[in-house]
Amino acid sequence: MSAEHSGIAARVEALEGLLAQKGLIDVESVDRLIDHFTSDVGPLNGAKVIARAWVDAAFKQRLLDDGTKAVAEFGFGGPEGACLVTVENTPTVHNVVVCTLCSCYPWTVLGLPPGWYKSSAYRSRLVAQPRAVLREMGLDIQPEVIVRVWDSSAEARYFVLPMRPAGTAGMGEAELASLVTRDAMIGVARVEGPVA
Amino acid sequence: MCTLSAYRHSVPSLHDLGGRAEYFAPVGYDPAEPPFHARWEERVFGIVSFVQTSLGKKVDEFRYETEQLPEQQYSSSYFGRWLAALENELERDGHLVAGELDATTTERSSATGRTGARVRAKVTALVLRPLLRPTLPRWMCAYVLPKAFGASRPTLRRAAFTVGDRVRVRPRRGDGHTRQPEYVTGKTGVVTTHHRAAALPDARAVHRREPSQHLYTIAFTGAELWGPAAEEGTEVRIDLYESYLEAG
Repeated sequence: MSAEHSGIAARVEALEGLLAQKGLIDVESVDRLIDHFTSDVGPLNGAKVIARAWVDAAFKQRLLDDGTKAVAEFGFGGPEGACLVTVENTPTVHNVVVCTLCSCYPWTVLGLPPGWYKSSAYRSRLVAQPRAVLREMGLDIQPEVIVRVWDSSAEARYFVLPMRPAGTAGMGEAELASLVTRDAMIGVARVEGPVA
Repeated sequence: MCTLSAYRHSVPSLHDLGGRAEYFAPVGYDPAEPPFHARWEERVFGIVSFVQTSLGKKVDEFRYETEQLPEQQYSSSYFGRWLAALENELERDGHLVAGELDATTTERSSATGRTGARVRAKVTALVLRPLLRPTLPRWMCAYVLPKAFGASRPTLRRAAFTVGDRVRVRPRRGDGHTRQPEYVTGKTGVVTTHHRAAALPDARAVHRREPSQHLYTIAFTGAELWGPAAEEGTEVRIDLYESYLEAG
């Protein structure tokens, strides 16, 4: 495993050197791209959007009407965000997102996907056995709640507007945002209320 | 590392995993898992992002490139897949000579770059610089970036379906790139959203010029997709292009 890793690491280093030498890449831009998609863009973006939707009904409506335009109000936009669609969890419907064909994911609000989201187990099983998969991941959906799986395959990138947890009535946007996790916006977790 | 075209026929749907029981397994779930596990994965991501932009590649082309990898490479690791696809693409376009990278890992390289590509790389570096910021102007996020990154294109053709229609997913035509998964093929569902028309990935992946197509979200019940094996009260919604569909 580690030998294979160091082999591939050396290969990538060689490729990068070769492409830089040929003038096909600008190494500083490659550094910036990595920094941008690991530091600037991530689930904190999505958490801010969700928190606002919880406290501002007009914003929530705009978010449900046109996700891309609504998150643009925060200055969020870019690749894998050209057609952002927000799907709302309710007491009767639970939404969860997958990409069975590759790894489509709403980068502008969630950053880059974690490994498990791209795994063959998640990609193959979620559409067929969503309740079992969610249960194994720690989320038990009651039988009377419909589980709606979104297979992102074309232009739209889906993300979940989770239900606001109980016990958060007095909280402001920033405090609420701190409760919202990446996995709740993928739909494999709930947003938990404050620990008493 | 050139792709064997025969693979496209013998392993047509390596990537088309929805409902494939042979891949069913517990999800290796870690709530704290980061996007990258090693530095080389970051570098591959950064290099691919840069090169795809500077060479003007569509995302569909890169997806098709990964789908044509031999099984061993496809299933190696996510970014291992990206690396192999990138190498194949660069070889096909004449930016790398087959075996050149293997020579580099031991000795020194030989080939020179292409001038056009070098100029494009310089321009890309300049264009990216102001875009890679935590936030951007609202008008840019709402109107400029979606056009740059999305494939929505208006069409004058009338839509064949409307919200509420029952539709069936047609048999696939051809064995090239498509965004029509096998598990919905032949199944009947209901149109729940009519999206803006968009360029067809099947055509974009191979530079075929085609009018854009109406695009719909179709809802399928679990029972329709999986029969008696389906879990109660489950459904799948997926976006499908008009040419994938017929009245159901």
